[in-house]
Amino acid sequence: MTFHWLRQAKGAALGAALLAGIGSAQAATEIELFFPVPVDGKLARDMAAMLKEFNEKHPEIRAVPVYTGSYDETLIKTRAAIKAGKPPAAVIMSANFLTDLAIEEEIQPLDPLIEADGKTPDAFMGQFFPALHGNAIVGGKVYGVPFHNSTPLLYYNVDHFKEAGLDPEKPPQTWDELLAAAKKLTKREGERTTRWGIMAPSNYDYGGWILQALTMSNGGLWFNSEYGGEVFYDTPSMLGALTFWSDLVHKAKVHPAGEQKGPGVSTAFLSGQASMMLLSTGSLTHVRDNAKFPYRVAFVPRNLRNAVPIGGASLVQPVGLDEAKRKAGWTLIKWMTGPEKSGWWSRATGYFAPNMAAYETPEMREFLGKNPDAKIAVDQLRFAGPWFATYKTVAVRKTIEDELQAVLSGKKTPKEALAAAQKGADELMRPYVEQTALKLPATN
Amino acid sequence: MAVRRRLALPAWRPKGLLGLALLAPSLVFLGLFTYWPVLQVLWQSLHAEARRQTVFVGLGNYRALFADPAFAAALVNNLVYALGTVVPSLVLALGFALALSSSTRLNAALRAILFLPVLIPLVAASSLFLFIFLPQVGLLDHYLAKLGVQGANWLGDPDVALWSLMGLTIWKNAGYYMLFFLAGLQGIPEESYEAARLDGANSWQRLRYVTLPYLRPTLSFVAVIALLNVVTQVDHIFILTKGGPSDSTNLLLFYVYQQAVERYDLGKAAAATVVSLALLLALSATSLRRMERRTDAEEAR
Repeated sequence: MTFHWLRQAKGAALGAALLAGIGSAQAATEIELFFPVPVDGKLARDMAAMLKEFNEKHPEIRAVPVYTGSYDETLIKTRAAIKAGKPPAAVIMSANFLTDLAIEEEIQPLDPLIEADGKTPDAFMGQFFPALHGNAIVGGKVYGVPFHNSTPLLYYNVDHFKEAGLDPEKPPQTWDELLAAAKKLTKREGERTTRWGIMAPSNYDYGGWILQALTMSNGGLWFNSEYGGEVFYDTPSMLGALTFWSDLVHKAKVHPAGEQKGPGVSTAFLSGQASMMLLSTGSLTHVRDNAKFPYRVAFVPRNLRNAVPIGGASLVQPVGLDEAKRKAGWTLIKWMTGPEKSGWWSRATGYFAPNMAAYETPEMREFLGKNPDAKIAVDQLRFAGPWFATYKTVAVRKTIEDELQAVLSGKKTPKEALAAAQKGADELMRPYVEQTALKLPATN
Repeated sequence: MAVRRRLALPAWRPKGLLGLALLAPSLVFLGLFTYWPVLQVLWQSLHAEARRQTVFVGLGNYRALFADPAFAAALVNNLVYALGTVVPSLVLALGFALALSSSTRLNAALRAILFLPVLIPLVAASSLFLFIFLPQVGLLDHYLAKLGVQGANWLGDPDVALWSLMGLTIWKNAGYYMLFFLAGLQGIPEESYEAARLDGANSWQRLRYVTLPYLRPTLSFVAVIALLNVVTQVDHIFILTKGGPSDSTNLLLFYVYQQAVERYDLGKAAAATVVSLALLLALSATSLRRMERRTDAEEAR
């Protein structure tokens, strides 16, 4: 009797399981997309509109956008979701976190999905600007699909240029020209500076990126893009870059002292208290909407070569997803990074579209015709390289940013700052280095 | 004797059970959301996590913590920040309360104005101060320039940034503490002042020998709250400086955040949490006990 009852119960359980299985096969696969909004609140609505359209076109999938705050918060929430065993099927992740996430085995390579579509990873990545490949491919495998990207850009006030006798058609192209222009543009009343020739942000996150742009323009690399355990802080290319920035502040006095925050720099530029600024292409829309004077943009000036790092975010897939969600997430990722959506998102945000074919669409041609500043941002991509990304990227970056801020505040010389930063970074990366580059065969 | 004990037992038992039953709901929640997480943090502080694997490291996290100059810097910053915010905000709050204790219409309006910063969430207030503190274009520099004074890079100069944050904290909290002092002042019997006046005490003596002794329990209580705020409020650091420039505004709680999020070193973050928790517990235990002792002593008198 007991046996019989048990068998019945088992049968019922099996039936229920089967039913549930059939049910889920018929219903849409439900997936989540974690997305940060690094620019402004309106984008959350744009993202919802985009996913609504996706769901209409893909009845077999129901994708839910989950707003996860800033890039950093998105990282925290993704890690928490992985730990809880409920990872989202896709995440828009800051492009420089990918190396660390891949090292920590928290995101998975997309190569099997690409190959299942009958493509090679090279052919798949071929649709995106070459500058973006470095941050998406880790250890030879594709870990991310570029979604929206940026580079630093030189913004300048055309009225100030004319007033100072500079030709707005010929923005400074070299560090020499930049310094000369900044000197002419700076205004003083006695001891007080009423207008700065140039400003650049040096707060955490932004400062490291701008310093990388200067270092790359000075022939340097900042980090080993092939291996996550090395940075090149204590090197001549970086010493030159940091010294140049320090000289703008302490010697030429054309740039304010101390740490400058991103919003402070753009506000100073928009209020006419700074004539030039180095800022992200991601601010183009903000500046375009708020500048009450004619402005222009140009490439970041060079000392040895034109070169800038990219910024922005890629779509990634965390580990621990079941097969159905993984495939549904992949469908979403491909759709969001296709030429049409890529272009649409670019026009809404001011970031450039990573998919090169986006620039062949009629909407994008029209947009670039109307906004030549957006075109310069895209042109500079030819000279762009990967954003620093190492084991424990944020902490490794902070070691140099603390020193950068000390130099700009006049508390340290560039030379001693770089030595300290190198020491701090090496210390941070040591556990990884010991398990990789310094893990050698035993000789005894 | 035996009879008495038997009689006493049933009287005691249901009482204890009832007490427990009444406590149970809050005990469950305290256990789930306070003590269980505390145990988890203790456990985490003895482990390290890498590549999605957890290893027992004993006191390794604590050793790394005490060897980290950034942790020492955060401790020192927190100490300076504590002294520099608690003392001025208490003095200001007491001053406001004394000045506005009588209930006139003007005083009510002034109290509301002083209380206003308390109503603004710290996150919103910090976002406002980002623009007040902007070098050159911010409100602060704008008005300083009218007075012919050169402003500073309020949040970008490592020597100034912590003081700017202290200013914001005092502005934000003084009105809140004022409320407690106002309540405390209501509790002082008018007869004590009359007696003091009859004895020929001047206003300073009345403050020193009547008002302040009566306010002592309030003062201790507010001091404990203020000290807790110093360690538990971190929103403004998050919005305004992220601990920078060059770690000059890094406080304990933000340091914990940095370890957990920026370095993904959960073990060290847990160790730092345990240390700050221990500090907080010690602090509140000693101040609360001192407060109790004083009140007892006063009652004995």
